[in-house]
Amino acid sequence: MPNQVKLKIDGEYVEAKAGESVLDAARAAGKFIPSLCHVKGLTPVGACRLCMVEVAGIPRPMPACTTTVQDGMVISTVSEKLTRYRQMIMQLLLSERNHVCAVCVSNGSCELQDMASKLGVTHSEFPYRYPRLPVDASHPRFVLDHNRCILCTRCVRVCAEVEGANTWNIMSRGVTSMLAADLNGNWGDSETCTMCGKCVEACPTGALAVKGKAVEEMTKNTDAVSRLATARGGTQQ
Amino acid sequence: MKKVRLATTWLDGCSGCHMSLLDIDEGILKVAELADIVYGPLVDIKEYPENVDVALVEGAVSSVEDLEKVRTIRERTRIVVSLGDCAVTSNVPSMRNQCGVPAILERAYLENVTAEGQIPREVVPQLLPVARPVHDIIKVDVFIPGCPPSAQLILNCVADLCSGRMPEPSLRYKFG
Amino acid sequence: MKIRDLEALNSVRQQGLTKYKPARPRIAVGLGTCGIGNGAEDVYQAFTSAVHTLGADVQIDRVGCFGFCAEEPLVNIAIPGKPLVILNRVKPQEAERILTEVLAGTVDQARALCKIQSWDHLTGVVDFGEGFPDIPEWNAIDFYKGQKKIVLRNCGLIDPEDIEEYIAVGGYKALLRTLRNAEPERVIEELKTARLRGRGGAGFLVATKWESMRNAPEGQKYIICNADEGDPGAYMNRNEIESDPHNLIEGMIIGAYVMGASEGIVYVRAEYPLAVHRLEKAIAQAQAYGLLGEDILGSGFSFHLSLVEGAGAFVCGEETAMIASLEGRAGRPRPRPPYPSEQGLWGDPTDINNVETWYNVPVIVNNGGRWFAQTGTERSPGTKVFSLVGKIKNTGLVEVPLGTPLKTFVYDIGGGTGNGKAVKALQTGGPSGGCVPVDMFGTPVDYEALAQLGSIMGSGGMVVMDEDNCMVDVARYFVEFTHSESCGKCAPCRVGLDHCLRILNSVSEGRATEADRDALEQLGPMIRDNSLCGLGQSAPNPVLTTLRYFRHEFEDHIQEGNCAAGVCEELFLTPCENSCPLHMNIPRFIQLYKEDRLEDAFESVIMDNPLPASTGRVCQHPCDDRCRRAGIDDAVNMREIHRFIADSVYGTEMEESVLKRLLERKMPPSGKKVAVVGAGPTGLASSFYLALLGHEVTVYDENSEPGGMLRFALPEYRLPKAVVATEVDFIRRLGVEFVCNIRIGVDKTPQSLSKEFDSVFLALGTWEASPIDLPGVQCTGVYHALHFLDEVAHGKDLRVGQRVVVIGGGNAAVDSARTVARLGADVTVVYRRQRDDMPAIPEEVDEAAEEGVKFMFLAAPHRVISDGQGRVTAIEVQRTTLGEFGVTGRRRPVPTDEILRITCDSVILAIGERVDTVFTGGSSLDLNRDGTVKVDRYSAETNLHGVYAGGDLVTGASNVSNAMSHGKHVAEMIDERLMGENRFAALFGSYTYSDELPDEPVAGGRNSTPLLPPEERRKSFEEVMLGFSPDQVSHEAHRCLRCDVKDECRVGAAAE
Repeated sequence: MPNQVKLKIDGEYVEAKAGESVLDAARAAGKFIPSLCHVKGLTPVGACRLCMVEVAGIPRPMPACTTTVQDGMVISTVSEKLTRYRQMIMQLLLSERNHVCAVCVSNGSCELQDMASKLGVTHSEFPYRYPRLPVDASHPRFVLDHNRCILCTRCVRVCAEVEGANTWNIMSRGVTSMLAADLNGNWGDSETCTMCGKCVEACPTGALAVKGKAVEEMTKNTDAVSRLATARGGTQQ
Repeated sequence: MKKVRLATTWLDGCSGCHMSLLDIDEGILKVAELADIVYGPLVDIKEYPENVDVALVEGAVSSVEDLEKVRTIRERTRIVVSLGDCAVTSNVPSMRNQCGVPAILERAYLENVTAEGQIPREVVPQLLPVARPVHDIIKVDVFIPGCPPSAQLILNCVADLCSGRMPEPSLRYKFG
Repeated sequence: MKIRDLEALNSVRQQGLTKYKPARPRIAVGLGTCGIGNGAEDVYQAFTSAVHTLGADVQIDRVGCFGFCAEEPLVNIAIPGKPLVILNRVKPQEAERILTEVLAGTVDQARALCKIQSWDHLTGVVDFGEGFPDIPEWNAIDFYKGQKKIVLRNCGLIDPEDIEEYIAVGGYKALLRTLRNAEPERVIEELKTARLRGRGGAGFLVATKWESMRNAPEGQKYIICNADEGDPGAYMNRNEIESDPHNLIEGMIIGAYVMGASEGIVYVRAEYPLAVHRLEKAIAQAQAYGLLGEDILGSGFSFHLSLVEGAGAFVCGEETAMIASLEGRAGRPRPRPPYPSEQGLWGDPTDINNVETWYNVPVIVNNGGRWFAQTGTERSPGTKVFSLVGKIKNTGLVEVPLGTPLKTFVYDIGGGTGNGKAVKALQTGGPSGGCVPVDMFGTPVDYEALAQLGSIMGSGGMVVMDEDNCMVDVARYFVEFTHSESCGKCAPCRVGLDHCLRILNSVSEGRATEADRDALEQLGPMIRDNSLCGLGQSAPNPVLTTLRYFRHEFEDHIQEGNCAAGVCEELFLTPCENSCPLHMNIPRFIQLYKEDRLEDAFESVIMDNPLPASTGRVCQHPCDDRCRRAGIDDAVNMREIHRFIADSVYGTEMEESVLKRLLERKMPPSGKKVAVVGAGPTGLASSFYLALLGHEVTVYDENSEPGGMLRFALPEYRLPKAVVATEVDFIRRLGVEFVCNIRIGVDKTPQSLSKEFDSVFLALGTWEASPIDLPGVQCTGVYHALHFLDEVAHGKDLRVGQRVVVIGGGNAAVDSARTVARLGADVTVVYRRQRDDMPAIPEEVDEAAEEGVKFMFLAAPHRVISDGQGRVTAIEVQRTTLGEFGVTGRRRPVPTDEILRITCDSVILAIGERVDTVFTGGSSLDLNRDGTVKVDRYSAETNLHGVYAGGDLVTGASNVSNAMSHGKHVAEMIDERLMGENRFAALFGSYTYSDELPDEPVAGGRNSTPLLPPEERRKSFEEVMLGFSPDQVSHEAHRCLRCDVKDECRVGAAAE
């Protein structure tokens, strides 16, 4: 078949659709590749850098989510180096903002928390930054807690690509980057927000949550967002 | 076989990890076979002893007293274990870190009291500018995250350590 | 007027030539941003009004920059039939004089920088004329000698605001040919032959990129010029656009035609207003001449070029971020592939090339790829423009063939630091690049070689760093930059750089641990390997290269809280204190003296420096080089002040009183015994502190008296023996026992001592002559300098004869020569380099000359001639010339065939000393190959437990203050080991004294100590430097600016 390619992942031959990402191909083959910014159906952005894999012939690791499969590609999803890098990146994310799981609405159903366990991260070697960040509770239905945000931009993409509202964007740069509603107003004052809640469902952590939820009460349905995005023919590689 | 000298201690935390430790129920018998508990909130010894084999440290380092404590523990202990999220991540105690000590004290001892509020200056140990995880201050050998870590996880870890093994990395744990 | 064919182009060309090379004199002022910054605009105005006043028939024009920034403003004088003369550092007030000369058909030849008789614009040659024999040709002067101007071929010569001048030198000829031949593939072939690589830094083959663009399906395509030059210290692109904008436009039109693009954009920094202005003007002119827009040159090909000003984000130099920015989105990169050539601006195929890449295109089309490939190296042909800045004499824009070694940039073209300080490193590639240390300056500059060193070529920034640059601070600076320019999209760059910066800050504040340094080494490769775009991937380079090549500087900051360069402010009191090997609190003793507290001042001095009177005479005074007063007039003469204080106290009641204070401060007996071997400066310094720390100290020395080099190597006229004796006696009275005439290795060994004592400190000197391969060296009458000085000091009557030759250029050579002069002989010092290269203290050299010592420079010993009895009768020396620069910036002496014979009775060799290894006494002490002892860098302990070593024994021959600093440090280390805690700081007292600053610094230059008249000096060994008078010392003390007084509040407020 012309639009099928064959590649080798961790020593196993895998068939994939031409144009598919290495991440999708590997996951379809039952491989575990960690990722926090990827949602199938949304444009991959390669922001969290957890899905880095080794591609034979390329000196540096490549992000699986934005690398397209090619015939004859040889991929390693696991290596000592990758594990170390992934653990370090995980620690960077944990140390960046204030992830206090014990009092988080998403405790127990948080992708960040799960990923730390999956990657064997028991603590952060990097000192916590303890930034002072606001909580935007101006929206009638939802809450934005910047303390829990990992800047994965899933909300930004689902809002733009599925809902078409373009409410969210990232403002400022570097470590001061922040999620902003419209032109950095209160979320509650947003004229573009349709209150659809897809951003909340897509959010991997407790950064976006339904108002009124107590600790551990917030569960997300990212799969539904993903199905919706895919069904709508969202950008796929 | 010589019994392991086991100590537990409690810095800035809620004692929940010690509660979880108590929740090992009859597991305590197994621990008792392997170890002597030489120090901790559960036993009545005032001074942290010398030559401790394993120390379980609960809580974040928040005050000058905590600081001295962890340093003593490190000096006198072979294997230091950060037990629970407060010790591992500084967790809830760190939620004051963005505010600064004076603001915290004022809120707690002046604004929120109904009568004769005053900021305690004696007896109560002085707060550090920020609460920090134990491994920010001293070298920590084993981390057991969780708020609290489950009784089974604690038991498994303690049993491993008391049998001279490092805990299995495959043990299931989670933050929070 | 639209140009449509060659004929029309040629007629414009003729028109342009009448402006570029008019029949009347032309005066053109270099008006790049650099020139304007140096006052060129005023110079231009001055010439304009001078022409008006004098009614002169002279054309006044603006040109761009000819590259020599350090010599701006540059003015070109073209008198018909004469060479084009470039004047440098022209001031407005000179305009009338220059104009008058020009009207008389001449220029002041002594005043000129260089001349150009004929210039090859590569697209056409312009002959100016011959003459002015006293002015060097442009490429005969150091700055331009190694340069080859391909990209900069028109810069600084033509008027950038006049398209006709560009056409005059062959501009747009390549475009016309390309369009007329209608063979776009041929252009790609030429680029392939040329092997032109992208000049933005990554070095991707241009032909490959263009070909894939050309092969992309037809439709809308874009080409972009990346002029978002954001590296600190890099300004090549700015200058290129300001000086020759049409070259860029021509390159882009050719590119557009070849790639099939109909629209082009120049993305230029908004911070470059002049470049924007000139480029806008150039675009308008090109449109007016039919070179841009519809139906270019009548070929039917259409291309529109516009200019977009970047908003100042560094990351927008990354091509996908630039595209996002052009599309009106935040400048954040996206993953590649797809590459812009597949999906670029608005989703269409887009080619992005750096400014300089485009500049190479017309000339390659014109002269052919083969011609281009002749320059540079096999893999990196052509030239590259670099901005050479930092601690360098000749700053400027430098265009050299790729493959030129780094040392050529720094020394040949750049002229070194120009301030006598040593170059330490070269930073290439800005925040994405790395620091290359001096010993790698032999590396050729090309893409691969620099990458091998962990740096990158980048767009061409080159920052020279000298000993005043702290490499930790350099790394910190660049990470601070990338940290604040990181777009924040990917976690490794966003958070990783934040942690890097935090660690680097803590290193420069002295708070970091080794674990922090290890974390940096972990973070660096992680950020490099995992970041999304080039910014993050290259951001760790400055850290990783400094960690690799300047690790010791990190260690110094971390282990000792020491910033030798004196940059990291938290780590030192004042620049003078930091530069002092003994870290004397200089402002404190100066202030105490000013407050008439001589006893306190002396106590402060002697506690920091146990031999203040001796060092007050012979120290190399590194403090002078760092004194901030030098920024007003000259450095404060700190050495003479503490000599004065010491001289005023010794032998008076005050000495007894301070001794009493010190004895009171002395710690109770520790019960520990320490042996110090060697009673020279190192041993004396250590015994002073060890005694005060309460230890029982015994100092062994092989000589009959303590003092070591101070007593037996330094001549009486520099350091009287009585002064040494006084200082030794002071230390003795603190409780130190001196045992003389004991030779270690013979009478006692390190092992036997370590059995008798709790600690042993080996502090021997370097008395053994370095071996030399010199025929006749064994003749009678050949002396080794230190042995010679030693014997004189011992009072031996040496018959050196009437004529003596001293070989060498260090202090030992000068001391020997001046001693010989005092013995009544005629003496010549022979040195293989030049006077400025001599390592001896400059004042000593001056004084030697005053005393009649002769110097022969650029000569090296060849052989010693002797008579039948083996007595020296002459020495033959070989003339040297100074050859190529070595990596450290000193030219290598190269022997010539010229041999000179100097008749003499004695030869004194002062060409270096080393350790006599007898002292090891067969012990298993670890030695280096040169005989020095291996020690731990910080504890100073040898491989033998409890045995320490320091001073010359560890460093090789050095100087008194360095040796003493070792002694001081080792005393601290020994005490810490013996007592289990660091008690050193507790030894030192504190003083309350004024920290009021005068409103204005006291006026008046540096005081020098009076000298014995030269005619008196030759007659005796009387001390030459007589010391300050009370008036002098008082004035000198008041000259101090008190850098130790820091306004904490103000500093804090500024930081917020």
